Amino acid sequence: MDDNNMENFDDGFDLSAPDNVRGTLKRLWTSVSDQHRRLAVVLISVIFYTVLSIAAPLYSAYIVDLLWAKIQAAFQDGTAFSISWDSGGKDLLFLLLLYLAAGAFYLLQSFLMASFAENLSLRLRNEISQKLSRLPLSFFDQNKPGAVLSRITNDLDKMSEAFQTGVLKLFTAAGMIAGSLIMMFRFSILLTIIFLIFMGLSLLVTGWVSARTLQHALTRQQCVSDVTSLVEENYSGRTIIKSFNLEQDSSGRMHRATQDLADASRKADFMINSINPLIRLINRGGQILIAVFGGNMLLNGTLTVGTFQAFFQYVNQSAEPLTELAFMINSMQSSLASLERVYRLLDEPEMIPDTKVPDHIEQAEGAVEFRHVRFGYTPENTLMKDVSFKADPGQKIAVVGSTGAGKTTLINLLMRFYEISGGDILLDGKNIQDLTRANLRNCFGMVLQDTWLFEGTIEENIAYSRPGASHEEIVAAAKAARADFFIRTLPHGYQTVLSNDAENISVGQRQLLTIARVFLRDPAVLILDEATSSVDTRTEIEIVRAMGRLMKNRTSFVIAHRLSTIIDADLILVMQDGTIIEQGTHKSLLAAGGAYAELYNSQFA
Amino acid sequence: MKLILQFIKPYRKQIIFVVLAMILDVAGGLLIPTITADIINNGIGGGSLPYIIRQGILMAAVSLFASLGALAGSYFCSDLAARLGRDIRNAVYDKSLLFSDSDLEKFGTASMITRTLSDINIIQQSVIMFIQMILPVPAVCALGIIMAFLVDPFMGWILSGVTAVLLLMTIIVMKIAAPLFERLQSLLDRMNVVIRENITGVRVVRAFGKEAYEEDRMNMAFGDYRDSSVKANRLFAGLESSALLIINLIIVALLFAGGNRAGSGFIRMGDITALIEYAILILFYVIMAQFVLIMLPRASVCARRIQEVLDTEPEITDNVSTVPSPSSAAEDVIRLQNVSFRFADADEDTLHNISFHCRRGQTTAVVGSTGCGKSTIAKLILRFHDVTSGRILLDGTDIRELPQHELRNRISYVPQKSWLFSGTIAENLKHGCSDADEEQMQKILACSQADFVNSLPGGLSYRASQGGTNFSGGQRQRLSIARALMKPAELYIFDDSFSALDFKTDAALRKALQKETKDSAVLIIAQRISTIMHADQIIVLENGKIAGSGTHRQLLDNCRIYREIAESQMKGETLYG
Repeated sequence: MDDNNMENFDDGFDLSAPDNVRGTLKRLWTSVSDQHRRLAVVLISVIFYTVLSIAAPLYSAYIVDLLWAKIQAAFQDGTAFSISWDSGGKDLLFLLLLYLAAGAFYLLQSFLMASFAENLSLRLRNEISQKLSRLPLSFFDQNKPGAVLSRITNDLDKMSEAFQTGVLKLFTAAGMIAGSLIMMFRFSILLTIIFLIFMGLSLLVTGWVSARTLQHALTRQQCVSDVTSLVEENYSGRTIIKSFNLEQDSSGRMHRATQDLADASRKADFMINSINPLIRLINRGGQILIAVFGGNMLLNGTLTVGTFQAFFQYVNQSAEPLTELAFMINSMQSSLASLERVYRLLDEPEMIPDTKVPDHIEQAEGAVEFRHVRFGYTPENTLMKDVSFKADPGQKIAVVGSTGAGKTTLINLLMRFYEISGGDILLDGKNIQDLTRANLRNCFGMVLQDTWLFEGTIEENIAYSRPGASHEEIVAAAKAARADFFIRTLPHGYQTVLSNDAENISVGQRQLLTIARVFLRDPAVLILDEATSSVDTRTEIEIVRAMGRLMKNRTSFVIAHRLSTIIDADLILVMQDGTIIEQGTHKSLLAAGGAYAELYNSQFA
Repeated sequence: MKLILQFIKPYRKQIIFVVLAMILDVAGGLLIPTITADIINNGIGGGSLPYIIRQGILMAAVSLFASLGALAGSYFCSDLAARLGRDIRNAVYDKSLLFSDSDLEKFGTASMITRTLSDINIIQQSVIMFIQMILPVPAVCALGIIMAFLVDPFMGWILSGVTAVLLLMTIIVMKIAAPLFERLQSLLDRMNVVIRENITGVRVVRAFGKEAYEEDRMNMAFGDYRDSSVKANRLFAGLESSALLIINLIIVALLFAGGNRAGSGFIRMGDITALIEYAILILFYVIMAQFVLIMLPRASVCARRIQEVLDTEPEITDNVSTVPSPSSAAEDVIRLQNVSFRFADADEDTLHNISFHCRRGQTTAVVGSTGCGKSTIAKLILRFHDVTSGRILLDGTDIRELPQHELRNRISYVPQKSWLFSGTIAENLKHGCSDADEEQMQKILACSQADFVNSLPGGLSYRASQGGTNFSGGQRQRLSIARALMKPAELYIFDDSFSALDFKTDAALRKALQKETKDSAVLIIAQRISTIMHADQIIVLENGKIAGSGTHRQLLDNCRIYREIAESQMKGETLYG
């Protein structure tokens, strides 16, 4: 959520710089390998365009002088002057052609570049989407979703934006500035020096204002996040606000926060908006001096009227790229940094690939065995040292332990979300590392602690586990999961679209939907990862009962924090600090009087 | 649009001021080439250096005034936008305070946050852009044309023609751009959603072996986004190229026409420069306006989203005509009479024909499975929703006749999801009773089995993080109970508030509670039989209907559903307590 809000407050002040410009550029060159020819055409077009753009004012100066000379001559004769083919007409036509040609090249290059950056983005995005499937789960556990998301959207969008106009502008700006300056120097060294002094001045002012703007933008950013967290807090606590009659209080706090934000906004926006008028003022100062000095040169005849006008055109042509150059270099830099982050994501270490000649399980029996399994999330920190247990097909295995005892670790290993560092895990006597991951996971059905639903209808969400399931099968699964009742009370029943954050249904209801999903899948081994914790005991019992029917002769792993539901388990695994410290049946464990007995007695005192 | 006009109204004078300042800026922009032209004419017409210098000083003064105008304009414009943003934010938030849960659920919390923050930010930025980039356009066009007419009527007509063409072009561009950009925005949203789903749901995706399917889904979103982006870029490229072309055509046309007019003595040579500058300035403003106009539909989408919030009639409003009846010492604090409740548009009742009462000094309990509607009962009593039929009486008065403030004043509530505000524990407790002293708080904490607070660094001034996530579920629940007990009330509602407590704490708490609430009615909503088996009256709910009521023993004998629940939890051993 936070990331989303921040995006829109991006003031364009990204100061991140790439670490390795050469390396990133080199890699970028290969990333656009399919567009090299396009770039070559663009480059040629840019050269033509620049040359034409430099030539045009020069030529128009010639025309103005020509016209002026003719007019003066005509006035001396006491006649009027009008343009004909020979007196200026063909020259004007030629100027028109010159401009048309420049326009055509400009159109060509901007059209070619219109898709350049987007093609690059698309290519990288497609690479990332493939990469995501190959990344180990540890990557997702260690990186915040918002950060990964921002690689794929913000970073690439920023890159696109900068490259799409930036590359072209960099190309043309260099030529334009150089060409214009040469021409200006040829016309008048004095006027050009005046121009350069004022340009330098405006660059200095821009730098100074930008630095101050950045400060104000940071303050605003802070105020935005203050308001965000206040809104977030008040919305999630609204039941309390209402039931304790705290509306006034809450509204007052919000008004104070929005006032702070308004103050910060005003300052930041003013700084941003004042850059342009300031630059304009300085540039005008330069132009005034040029006009006065130029006027004097006109007086004493060292400058013609045509060159005077042409000089102003060159001033305009080079002033804009010059003021933009600093900004452009900055944005190119930050977009290279963005690109670098994207490449870093693409370079993340991947999972061990599936074995080349995989074993295959067609119809799993559901025998699971751990043999001397060693595991740790980091190599230095081994959690499981030597864990062995055996689950026969159809057995119910309960995993218990306090929060943080590592119950999900077991699931991570069973489903091969993480690789073990020693020992073997066997499914139906086959080492799971000899199976493809797809084949292995196909044998499992899982209901996770964090329910996950996607933006789509309830029906689509249930059918996710089995594409092509009929409506009847889906309803049957929903009934089995006791989700049918609430689905039917929803405005559009099974066609209700679950929103992005799925706020239109409750946590318990979400859980029921994910359970329905597993019912539909009809898997060989079932994993219930504290799945029923927000479903009450009676529903849980019914689900477990139904699961029992469903899982006849198949294995189930139940991770629950209520011991009442697992008393009848065939095997209870007691976990602590990421490893299994006790195992046995309810009776044997109680008799042993260890950790399980203590846990049980504390719950049923 | 309506929204912005409505909120901008108080600042009308400021807008006029901003516009005047902007016109100053524009007029300066037009005067400078005029003076430059004069210098040229003077320079080639045998003028004098002092005259040129005087004109130079005039130009400096003009540009100084113009820049001051621009700076003042942007200051007051930023100020206006900031205040506008603040006002809309406050309005949206204050409105949301009136919303019931189902009002709010229509939008969703995440969406409300977006509406309050980024949507309004976009409006703010758009207002700035609109005032600075679009409002001056008519002034530029008019002033530019007037200046051209002053130079030479013939050239004035040419410039009018050029302006008309430019404006026509703007209309055409807008027709193409508006739908394109709307689509682009929705594709961007779609891309974000799909990626986020993939990242947060990686375990599920892999467990179901849907990697290839999800890759396709993502690539499809990426491809669609690319196609629309390229279209938008091409549009911009076309716009830019045609702007460039137009400038150049104007130059040639003005050279041609100007040459002829100068040749006939209507204008002087330097005037051509001025005319070219006028045309370029008009073109510049019109093109900038086009870029802003393309962005405006986005702001109107945001404005519409905010308007939706502001236009939502709160489902629950106070009946203004009634005067709150004084709280009586009636025996029945709360009485539900044939209460049914159905969510809007649902085709089944969530609660059906529920009647029971809560007596002073007694504990009433409601049990049932998830989705049976038991939490809804609490929400109805608190009037977070209104009943569909039947009525709820507090001290004999229909709660719809009471101001909400008064109703909630008499009820203290512990919600299912324990939740604390960020702030100290003392601050949180004081939400129940604003003038409580430490002694009172300590007494309540002891009663709520929450004395663990005293072992925390700082004790009562220990800070809870947002939602209270720095406490364990059980601790949070006990603090939440303490907060409710701080508040003197006629009815205490505990909505599944003991679920995270172990049995020992649960029992101790209930015992202490009895003393604390002896003059009030207590309603406990629970799943755990042991929590409610000693209640004076137990209501069993099944699929929104009452399946039985009575004491624990009565229900064990008469109510099959109750017995099932009890057996599933207690394994027969302690069934009869």
